[in-house]
Amino acid sequence: MTAKEPVLELRRITKSYPGVVALNAVDFAVYENEIVGLVGENGAGKSTLMKILIGLIQPDEGSYTLRGEPIGFRDPASATRFGVGMVFQDGSLVPNLSIMENLFLCHEMGFRRFGFLSKRAMREAAYSVLAAVKVSSDLDIPIADTTPAVRQMVEIARLLWLSKLYKQKNPILILDEPTTVLTESERETLFSILGEIKSQASIVLISHRLQEIVENSDRIVILKDGKNVTELAAEHVSISSIENMMVGHSFEADRYREDEQVEPGKETVLRVQKLRKRGAFEAIDFSVRRREIVSLVGLVGSGKEAVCRCIAGLDKPDGGSINLGGKKLPAGSPSEAVHSGLGHIPIDRRSEGLALGMTVAENVNLLVLDRLKVAGFISPAREKKNAMRCIEECRIKSPSSSTMCANLSGGNQQKTVIAKWLSSQIQLLVLDHPTRGVDVGAKEEIYKLIRKLAHDGIGMIIMCDTLEEDIGLCSRMLILRDGRLVREINCPPYNKPGPSDIIGSIV
Amino acid sequence: MVAVKRDDPADAQETTTVRRKRARIPAIFFAVTLLIVLVFLFTMGNRNFISAYNLNTIASYAAILLVVGLGQMNTILIGGIDLSVGGLMSFISVVFVVSLKTIGVWAFPLCIVVALMAGFLNGNILTRIKIPSFIATLGTGGIMTSLALLVSPLPVDAPASTYGLLEIVNGTTLGISHLLLLTLVAFALFYVILKFTTVGRNIYYIGSNIKMSWMSGIDIVGTRNIAFVLSGLGAGIAAIMLSCNQYGGDPTLGKVYILQSIAAVLVGGTALTGGTGGAVNTVIGALILSVMENGMNVVGVDAYFQQSILGLVIIISVALTFDRSKTATIK
Repeated sequence: MTAKEPVLELRRITKSYPGVVALNAVDFAVYENEIVGLVGENGAGKSTLMKILIGLIQPDEGSYTLRGEPIGFRDPASATRFGVGMVFQDGSLVPNLSIMENLFLCHEMGFRRFGFLSKRAMREAAYSVLAAVKVSSDLDIPIADTTPAVRQMVEIARLLWLSKLYKQKNPILILDEPTTVLTESERETLFSILGEIKSQASIVLISHRLQEIVENSDRIVILKDGKNVTELAAEHVSISSIENMMVGHSFEADRYREDEQVEPGKETVLRVQKLRKRGAFEAIDFSVRRREIVSLVGLVGSGKEAVCRCIAGLDKPDGGSINLGGKKLPAGSPSEAVHSGLGHIPIDRRSEGLALGMTVAENVNLLVLDRLKVAGFISPAREKKNAMRCIEECRIKSPSSSTMCANLSGGNQQKTVIAKWLSSQIQLLVLDHPTRGVDVGAKEEIYKLIRKLAHDGIGMIIMCDTLEEDIGLCSRMLILRDGRLVREINCPPYNKPGPSDIIGSIV
Repeated sequence: MVAVKRDDPADAQETTTVRRKRARIPAIFFAVTLLIVLVFLFTMGNRNFISAYNLNTIASYAAILLVVGLGQMNTILIGGIDLSVGGLMSFISVVFVVSLKTIGVWAFPLCIVVALMAGFLNGNILTRIKIPSFIATLGTGGIMTSLALLVSPLPVDAPASTYGLLEIVNGTTLGISHLLLLTLVAFALFYVILKFTTVGRNIYYIGSNIKMSWMSGIDIVGTRNIAFVLSGLGAGIAAIMLSCNQYGGDPTLGKVYILQSIAAVLVGGTALTGGTGGAVNTVIGALILSVMENGMNVVGVDAYFQQSILGLVIIISVALTFDRSKTATIK
């Protein structure tokens, strides 16, 4: 740790929401030219702290100082003027405007020539600004047509440019889960660029991937339950010790609960025959048995996502058949799929998995309303009873069954989605990155739930965030490459292949 | 198995008991408070405001507005809107009185069926042709307004021979007016549909998150159609009630109810974005608007001022009742 004066210092920040204290007297400082890793479980207060840092929300108590001067941020615009800005998880650019227009959005006044905006001046500035983040793309293409990596770089470039505009010497960039949308090589580029930017700025890095935090930050700040746990130099720490401090209890050695992995049943639940979709994948055959967890593995573009979307009825395949429990599913109808006993846990739970503005009870009971009826009408008593059972069974951390889903943390929202399918009579469940953006503690519980589902006789198709997770969870693995099924590997408990055995088939 | 400590149920309980600093006040509370304040102010202005006679006037105005509003509410809950209620009411009004002369009591079911069909048409333009309901119902509303004028360009009086039939709405049973009873039945119907049936729940699911609803196998097309059918039903019943009350049909009778019905729904605290609100909210909303309309006349507010005061009250009450926590972008 440096003895230097911090650039930005937050002291004893407290923020509470009805029912929860999100931050409890948290201290946070950013020094010059450093990368600070900020870690903590979902609900630990990271996001709240960041929102306070950029003026999106106001703390109840506490003070902030910038280079010793007490200041206050009314809104993100005033934070920008002091050189503090954030690259959001889901991007904050305007999709239908071009890269250049986004870069200078709302700050075009400097490019006025004779009262009109000079495109040429903007273009020149844009090239030099983007060179710093190694983007050499056409400036006129709309943001919607660019890759997530480019968008991220444009946001970073914009923040750097703005801080220069407001004459801030050492801007502070906050990156919230920057790597979730990136490919392996894009990740490497990002971190090499961040390493360069470090010479003129400070970076706050938030990520669930502890590996990249440890590798790339100078200092790590750990939050737990809205309080500071500790702060340490990144050089000599191990990932497991950070995990321990975040969660407050040790991980069991068997993270994926291999001891609970059950032997697949005899009966076939799902049989996919000659399923194909042009431009996504070629004719594919496979089946899933009862109690079996089949993992689809492959790079982005291997066709695994498209296969799952076709099975769930969200996309229409060009040919082939899908049989669920001996019954042929009509193509492209999620409603038919659901009613035949197929569940789907989408990757984006906020926009596809939940009615955020409705209660936990209303969400988990969606599929079983008919069972909760008395004389043809939904019974509030039965509805509550079923919801309480789901909350208990899936360990959803919610104050009550009538809590709105928007007020739950990511992990608990995901458990709510799982509970919804669990309470209906499904035969097959498609899990699309079930632990995406979920903290370690909740991950462990989701693994436990997956094991329970298998134990109850449900067949599963799963796509995971990491290869390790795929191997740990599945009983059989299907590897796809360029839209074709290239390899099938059995993964019995305690006799699983290592990632190195598999990676060769994937790439 | 080692239980994961942090998810102990007792732990979850603990977080709820921590300092409840800004507990959320339900939208309905503000709406009810506003209503009480308005009644108090108007009573201060003129004692006759709470006379039995005047309360009766307010009730009959509120009854009509409430029934249209209850229908309208369904389309707003799914995230749509029904601008055709005005045209439909006008059309039903003249069809009702004209057919009353020829087919007698059968005019009642005929008009209800026509209203349901109009709603079904609106729903299908949205769900099959995929035109936003704002545009779709603006169009059908216009068509029905002109159809009303084609049926009868001028207001028609119900012939005295049919006054007996009009007693279905205008009469009283045990001293309670049928208008009030019919309104209560309509309220109960919409309340039960929304609260205790699958269709009602699906309306909320779709309004809250249509993509999730589609992926969970909810019948999006059917539910949206039903929401518009319910809106047609509300407008149809309201038009019949009003025509009976006025002993005649009027081809421009529905005009004021387009915006009034939307205002009643929103003032009660149902969000224009869909997914939140309900029948009770609409009752309070309809009462607020009716009390305003009537109260300003009773205390003698300049007629030219009335519209601006009404507009102001609508803005204030939506500002108070709109539950921002339920819109996804603001947490």
